[in-house]
Formats: sequence, structure tokens, C-alpha cells
Amino acid sequence: MRLLVIEDEKKAGEYLKKGLEESGFTVDVVANGIDGLHQALEEDYDLVVLDVMLPGMDGWEVLRRLRTKKDTPVLLLTAIDELEERVRGLELGGDDYLVKPFAFVELLARIRTLLRRGPPRDIEHVHIGDLEIDAVRRRVRRNGQRIDLTPKEFSLLQLLARRRGEVLSRTQIASYVWDMNFDSDTNVVEVAIRRLRAKIDDGHDTKLIHTVRGMGYVLDEERGDD
Amino acid sequence: MRRLSLATRLTVTFTVITAVCFILVGWLLYRAAEQRILEQDETNLVLSARHLRRLVAELDSIADLKTHQDRMVVSVLGDNSNALRMIDDAGQVIVDHNPMGFPLDANGAVPVGQRIVATMLHTWHGDQGLPIRGVAVVGQMRDGAHVTIMVARSLADREVLLRRYRRDMALRLLAGMLAAMVLSHLLVRRALRPLRSMAAEAATIHAQNLHTRLSAGNAPTELHALSHALNEMLDRLEGGFARVWQFTVDLAHDLRTPLGNLRGTNEVALARTRTPAEYQALLGSNIEECDRVSRTIESVLFLARADNPQFALQRSALDVGEELQRIADYFEGIASDARVSIDIQGSATLMADRELFRRAVGNLLSNALRYTPPDQTITLLARQTNDAVTVAVENPGAGIPQEHLDKLFDRFYRVDRSRSDSANSTGLGLSIVKSIMELHGGQVTVDSQLQGITRFVLWFPVH
Repeated sequence: MRLLVIEDEKKAGEYLKKGLEESGFTVDVVANGIDGLHQALEEDYDLVVLDVMLPGMDGWEVLRRLRTKKDTPVLLLTAIDELEERVRGLELGGDDYLVKPFAFVELLARIRTLLRRGPPRDIEHVHIGDLEIDAVRRRVRRNGQRIDLTPKEFSLLQLLARRRGEVLSRTQIASYVWDMNFDSDTNVVEVAIRRLRAKIDDGHDTKLIHTVRGMGYVLDEERGDD
Repeated sequence: MRRLSLATRLTVTFTVITAVCFILVGWLLYRAAEQRILEQDETNLVLSARHLRRLVAELDSIADLKTHQDRMVVSVLGDNSNALRMIDDAGQVIVDHNPMGFPLDANGAVPVGQRIVATMLHTWHGDQGLPIRGVAVVGQMRDGAHVTIMVARSLADREVLLRRYRRDMALRLLAGMLAAMVLSHLLVRRALRPLRSMAAEAATIHAQNLHTRLSAGNAPTELHALSHALNEMLDRLEGGFARVWQFTVDLAHDLRTPLGNLRGTNEVALARTRTPAEYQALLGSNIEECDRVSRTIESVLFLARADNPQFALQRSALDVGEELQRIADYFEGIASDARVSIDIQGSATLMADRELFRRAVGNLLSNALRYTPPDQTITLLARQTNDAVTVAVENPGAGIPQEHLDKLFDRFYRVDRSRSDSANSTGLGLSIVKSIMELHGGQVTVDSQLQGITRFVLWFPVH
């Protein structure tokens, strides 16, 4: 998958390239709007990450001109979190909108969602190691042993399983599982993960739920730190 | 057209009023004088006629009258405007005194025996329209002979007098008006001087010297209200500036703490080579500090946006009981860790912004969880009345001392600064609750008993 990042801030461009490449994408970074638009039109990219505040030609103009020729998905980055800005971005044909500063995992998740195209499929049966999740009967077994989960715990596990191997931020989890979209001062998600982990991982040698410090949580068979 | 100044408008108004009054009074006085002069002349004419008829009646005959001619003339002497003529039945002139030589009129002579009154006088004109007023009467002598007595007066001198009177009056009116104009202009300027000095004072007030107040001084009472209102406005502005200043200081402090942590931990880590695990721990901690900064900035921006009158609420109908249950579910993990239970009572429906409602209740509930002792219960209570929906968050605990209650919703205000728990709390949670309630046209109140119940109440008006 080829991504084009149009971002004038050098450090931001560098870390985006590095982070996205490590997540398996091929990434080109361009530092101004005019070159960015040119490159987006000339080459075939699967997605464009576009900073709104650019020297020369701003992101809105780049997006507007790009849309006259191409339908490449565009993820807008901006420092301004105003409703009008969001509306404007989406009206001009942006596909998603992310406010700086954002968590990198959040960016990754948005990019993956845009590239997946179409709703995520709900797999009826998921097997991760010796963990089985039956989405229809909402049952969970580990090593053949039935595990009782509360509805919220089940939603949380299902979310992690569906995004297996992806790091999910606390904000994403709070929004998906509880539909709470404000950044709270509390460690609600940590507590929920701890309780889920106690039910899923306690007493098993292979741990499945992993904490990525400072970033979030991931469900997988193997993961470095814990 | 340029707006006229207040001084000019007042001066013009005063001058016009003065002029109208002067002209009205002057006209009335003139009319009265004219009337009096006319009456005086008429009275004189009537009295002369009566006197002459009585004199005639005392005389024996025409011949007698001729000899007493002088006695007759005396009664009209001394004023050249007067004229007297007596004729007998044959039309023969017996007595004639007419220095101005104007025509006399014998028509409609008052018959013998009829009382002479002013209404019998009539007016006619001589050469060049000379106005003449007079009367003719018939007198009877002792021998029975009749004499027609004509007395008249030229009004020419009266016209001259009145003309001069009119001119004098007009001049005086003009002078009076000019005086009124000048005086009223001076007075108005003088009266408005406090206003000008107030403007000059106000012009010197800037953000740097907002403590300055307008001195009412010797300004008239009408201006006291204005200067009082302006001073109160300055009080409010000064308070607002002080809060903004305090807010900036607190914000800088709040940002300095995580930045200090970031710098410190990074410097220590770089001082020597670490294991990858240590580096990973450091980077994780760095991200946590960044999150803290982001949270503070997000909260500050939220408050700033909420202060903007253009802020658009996304209102929808909320089932308050259901929302409270959802929020309680969200905090369920933390609550059971703290061995605190959450009890939900009551129900209501409300038009409100769902996200903001959750945020407000969520902030109050996470606060309550922080201060509730183990094995106690937090109560979320919804109530619907005719004009409002209230949501109360009640928790038992140590309570908040009275002196903190009214500052609790101030930005960055923390009851116990040393135990600020600032890694987790931005100190903006309750300010955000307050802003959210203001956006909904409602309010948040708190009451607290030491070692008792602390209760926050969200009050939403129902339109």
C-alpha cells in the first residue's frame, strides 16, 4: 500500500514516514502543497495524508484540485478542532479528519479503516491461540474452559479481537465500547482491561492481552512488552 | 447631515423658547397698551361731549353761547389733536376750534336727553386717510334752541406712538433673544463640562490601569448614575482581566509540570546507556506526559469555545435514566475497584447535547468516585419538574469545607493544592461542567456537609 504524506513540519513528516513504514506501508513525504498536489496527481497512491496548514498552497486548495481529477482517499490533519473546519473538510471531499496532536495509533487505525473500504466484517468465530470467541452466542472459551464476561467486557474483547495485532488507544476503546467520546481524567479503560485480563489471561502461561505503554492495548499471541 | 452637538441643540431650543415667550408677552402688552390709549381717548371724548351738553343746557340762547365761546373751547384746549364745532339748527357755525382742520361729522347726532356712551363714537377719515374718532350730540338751550355739538380727535399721534412702541419692543425682543442665546450657550457648555471631563478621564483608562475609576466629583446627580455604571463596568472588566491573567498563570504552571517531567526523565535517561526496556519505559512515560499536556490543552480549548456565543449545541431528546445508567456502566470498573456502588434513581427526559451531558455527569461522577470511602454508595438522582430537569450526584465522604464551595468551579481551582493529584486531574473538570450547564442555560450548584453528603446538582431549564 502506497501512502503520500503532505506535511511541511519536518519532524512530523519524518515520524509519520517512519511509523507508517514500520506498519507496513510504502510512504512518500512532500513538504509543500504544490509539489504534493503534483505528486498526488501523477502517481498512484492508495491514500493521501494531508496537513491543512501548508505553505504555498493550503490543504483545502490541494484537496479541491485533487478532487477535480481523482478519488484517492484523503485523511486531513489539522490543528484546529472546530465543527466548521470538519464540515468544510468533509464537504471538499476529505474522507476523514484528525486533530493535532493525535495518538499515532489513532492515525494508524483511521488509515486502516479508510483502506479497508466497507464495514468491518463480524466474524462469527474467532480463534486466537487457545481463545475462542463465539460472536453469535456471545460466548468465550479459553483452552476449552468457559469464561463468563459482562456485556461490556465481551464488547471490549470483541473489539480487540477484531483488530487483532493493532494497538487500540484508550480513547478509541472508550468510544467504541461505552460510546463515551470525551477524554476523561480517569483510568476507566485501564481498569476494564485489567478486569478482562484477569478473566482471560490469569492462570495461562501465554498472555493474550498486552499493554503498549503510553499507546494502548493489543490482543495477540505474541507481543514484546507487558 | 452632521449631527448637531448637544450644546448647539440646547442653545437653539432655549433661544426659540425665549423668543416665543418674548413675542407672546410683547404682543399681549402692546395690545393692552393700545387698548388703554383708545379707551382713554374715548373716555375723554365722551366726557367732553357730556360736559359740553351740560354747559349748553345752562345757557339761555345762541347769543349767550356766542359770548361764552371761550368756556366751551377750554374744555378741549391743550391738545391740538382735538376739535370742537357747534352749529345751530340752521347749520350756522357758532363755535369752531379745529387746529388741524380735519373734517367733522354731524351725522347720527345723539338726540337730546339720551345718555352719551362710548359705543356711540365712530371713526372716519380725513385727508391722506387720517383716522378721526368722534361723536356728535344735540344739546338744548334754556330757550329751547338746539345746538349740535361735534367733538372729535385725530388718532394720528396715537398711531405714531404705537408705531414707536412696536419698534422699541422689536428691538428689545431681539436684544433679549441674543442675550438668551449667549447665556444659554454659556450655561449649557458649563453644565456639560463634567461630561467632557468624564470622557477625558475615561480616555486615559487602559488594560494597564484598569483599577482607575471615574471620579464623580462635582458632577451633577444625573451624571452620577452614568459614572457609577461605568465604574461598575470597570469592576467587571477588571475582574475578568484578573481571571484571565490568573488563568494564564495557572495554565502555564500546569503545562510546566509535565514539561519538567519530560525534560528531567529524558536528561536522566540520556546521562548513560540504558537497556532497551528502560528506554521503552521512558518513551512510554513521555507519551503519558504528552497525553497530559494534550488533555489540558483540549480542556482549555473546550472552555474557550464554550465561552464563544456562537457555540452550537447538538440538542436531542435524552432519556436521562438511561444516560445515567450508561455513564454509571462506564465507571463501573473503577467503582468496584474502590468498593463503591452507584445507585441510580428517578427518570426524566431532557433536550440536551448528549456528548456534553455525558461529559458533565461523567466529570461529577469521576470526582465523586475519587472522594467516596469504600463500602459507600454514590447516588445519581434524576428529577423532572414542570420547568426543569435536575440531575444530582451525591456522595458521602469527608466533605468540602465551606470556604472552597464558591470557588470550586473556577478554572484550575483545587481544594487541596498539595494533594492535587494533578497527574490525573487537570483541575478543569468542574469548570467544564459549569460551562456545559451555562451553554444549556442551566447551572450547577454544590452543597456539602463535613463528614456527610456532598451533592452536586445540574439544573436544566425546560423551555
